[in-house]
Amino acid sequence: MTRQRQLKIRLICSLALTSVVTACLVGLILWQRANLQNATYTSGAILLACLFFLAGYSLRKKIPFASFAGPSRFWMQLHIYVGLSTFLIFAVHIGFRIPDGILESTLAILYLIVASSGIYGLYITRTIPKKLTHVNDEVIYEQIPVIRQQLAAQVHALASSAFGKSETIARFYVNRLSPFFEKPRALAYIIRPTTRESRKLQNEINQLDRYLTSDQAGLSEKLISMVQRKDNLDYHQAMQGRLKYWLFIHIGLTYSLLIIGVVHGVMALAFHGGMR
Amino acid sequence: MNSPLKLEKPQRWDTPFDERMDDRAVNELLQIDPFASMDEQAFGTNVPLRGLLKNDCRITNYQDGEIVIREGDYGNSAFLILSGELLVSLDSLPANILGRATPKKKNFFQTLAQGWTNSKHSEVRNYSDQNSDCRISNAEDRARIFIQDVPRVITADRSETLQTGEFFGELAALTRSPRTATVVSKGNARVLEVRWQGLRDLMKRDSALKNHIDQIYREFSLKSHLRETDLLQSLSEDQIEKIAAETCLETFGNFDWQVQFKAAQKKDIRQRIHDEPVIAERGEYPNGLILIRNGFCRLSRPYGNGHQTISYLGKGETFGFRELAHNWQTGQQRNWSLSLRAVGYVDILRIPTFAVEQFVFPNIPSSKLPALLPAAGTISARSSDQQKKKRRGSPVNSDLLEFLMDHRFINGTQAMMIDMNRCTRCDDCVRACASTHDNNPRFVRQGKQHDNFMIAGACMHCVDPVCMIGCPTGAIGRDQNTGYVTINDNTCIGCSTCANSCPYQNIRMVNVRDSKGNPMVDTHSGEPIAKATKCDLCSDQQGGPACQRACPHDALYRIDLSDSEQLEKWFG
Repeated sequence: MTRQRQLKIRLICSLALTSVVTACLVGLILWQRANLQNATYTSGAILLACLFFLAGYSLRKKIPFASFAGPSRFWMQLHIYVGLSTFLIFAVHIGFRIPDGILESTLAILYLIVASSGIYGLYITRTIPKKLTHVNDEVIYEQIPVIRQQLAAQVHALASSAFGKSETIARFYVNRLSPFFEKPRALAYIIRPTTRESRKLQNEINQLDRYLTSDQAGLSEKLISMVQRKDNLDYHQAMQGRLKYWLFIHIGLTYSLLIIGVVHGVMALAFHGGMR
Repeated sequence: MNSPLKLEKPQRWDTPFDERMDDRAVNELLQIDPFASMDEQAFGTNVPLRGLLKNDCRITNYQDGEIVIREGDYGNSAFLILSGELLVSLDSLPANILGRATPKKKNFFQTLAQGWTNSKHSEVRNYSDQNSDCRISNAEDRARIFIQDVPRVITADRSETLQTGEFFGELAALTRSPRTATVVSKGNARVLEVRWQGLRDLMKRDSALKNHIDQIYREFSLKSHLRETDLLQSLSEDQIEKIAAETCLETFGNFDWQVQFKAAQKKDIRQRIHDEPVIAERGEYPNGLILIRNGFCRLSRPYGNGHQTISYLGKGETFGFRELAHNWQTGQQRNWSLSLRAVGYVDILRIPTFAVEQFVFPNIPSSKLPALLPAAGTISARSSDQQKKKRRGSPVNSDLLEFLMDHRFINGTQAMMIDMNRCTRCDDCVRACASTHDNNPRFVRQGKQHDNFMIAGACMHCVDPVCMIGCPTGAIGRDQNTGYVTINDNTCIGCSTCANSCPYQNIRMVNVRDSKGNPMVDTHSGEPIAKATKCDLCSDQQGGPACQRACPHDALYRIDLSDSEQLEKWFG
């Protein structure tokens, strides 16, 4: 059986199992409600346990040597499907209504942000790798600034070699190439990377060709390939950075959610019988 | 036009085996058998006997208890005892006695303790608790490794003594197979070591030596190899005997292929395939059944102006059975339908056609006979689309095969394969590797890429571990139980032989430090102490390689690229 087929079968089985387990849990809560029991505590306890379990994956990642903890991919699968099932349990817990208290509202909003960031994370971890693979230059994120610096130095050296002979190159380097290679990309690019700027620059370099002397033939081709390389580096930085910062935010918010969730749980237990 | 740069063409003996070999030593060797009885005229002027002895041999003095060869080592030389005696152990000796790594699995608490006991500095070592049954000393510009208390380790009833004038180690040298026994010096001994190139030429020009080695091979190895061959398993002992008498042992390619591998990579692919020695050429008469003993072969066919790779064959596989069976069954004369070329170094057995027809076909069950070949012309009439797809049992497309062959990844039994379409570049694998190796990652998450698959820079624990050839202390060795290639840090002397030999650059030399982060230096020279490091597949950890366990996205797996089933699973 090929790997792709194995993954498809795993997806179907996991979805089926998640649906069954979630349905059972929701069924238990609804059954309690039907029997006039206080099902909110049950749903709250299940939800809080799920949140602790989901946050536990972060701890598992911190002890990669601990083989007894099981492989990370198994945890990841559980993380995804337990995370998905919490949506329904959360909805049942709040009784399909908008919470009105300050603490409850804050908690609900925080939960929705964390859960949405989880869904977003699932989406980007499944789509960005493919986009990065399409870009030929595979690069390690931490090495990008160094490589970019080296590339800028190479462009500078290449342009400097033509300074004495051609004013065109000198002007073009100062006005167009130098900012592109030395300055960081704008926030708009980080949010939505496009090849617009690099394509524009490559067109300009092509236009420049006719103003160059015969001994400068080939210079434009070199510059175009360097622009392309820089664009690839920027793309990698933007996309890999997105994956890293997303995780940072997702985990940070999860801890806030856990703290407020525990406070909410303690208060709910403390005021179990209502105000006296 | 610029004038060409003039260089002296490199010659075979630019780098002699041992620069200390002089005319006096050569004259001494020419006085003793088997060299005394060799005809110097038979060697000609290009490869004279004196030249062979001077450049392809070296004389080594061994002291009592010193290891000459270790069981399991991949040697590239044979030995002749000039004086003294050597002891051959008939039992396999424990790895720690031979100076090899003996990984012990960490228990639950030791595993957990890695969380706070890992060093803050890189490459920290503590050599104060060394406990080994072997001892290393440096003398005569080489590292010597001794077995302590030889009579206890190698008992008299479980050993054999080799006397002056006896040859040993020639089969491992010629067939690139692991040494089958450990040999230790019994008292002081003087031993001549002949590297494989010299041994090959000596055999070519001296029939007595050739017959002697041939006889040893036929006596000890050939029959058992034939018996292990799947196709011949239903044959009787007598029939195997008769086949063995007719079988020829042939070698192709360069024994030290790894030396030329990097330079050859720069050549055009057509030229590279053209340079590979041809074992069987498409369209020629099938003169025998070919059994591959060692190495890898490229199965190819002409396509356009070049050769297209169709599949590859490795150790234990056969070539030509289908053609021979077809001819025997139909009485037709069909020639090789594909070419077989040696990739690197290949060692084959050729059972002549008449022997196969006389002893094999009549005696094997009809179920083992392959289907008849399609009518002539059918194969070449296939469309180019079909040519790109699966063929002759090959589970993956031609482009991928070319990629695996070109970079010699087919050698890897535990290659780190990353599906870049799933890899989020989170580096959890690198962190996991570091955390299980005292905060020192043992691989680089970069490497050659084909489509969305990357073969990362981690030791592949090769089928043909060229890194093991030439290790002076045997620090690098293959674990007998797991097959993993591991380095014993205690006995590694930092000579870089393994790192330079590895064609994939997966062994890295590091300078070691003490627990405070201070570099360790040699007492005599003051130079930093270097050690070879590489992936050990977390052999001391429970649960297998940490990199694979740490990947959350099912992107990283250690796979056997020489196994067609795994290839099909991943790339099919």
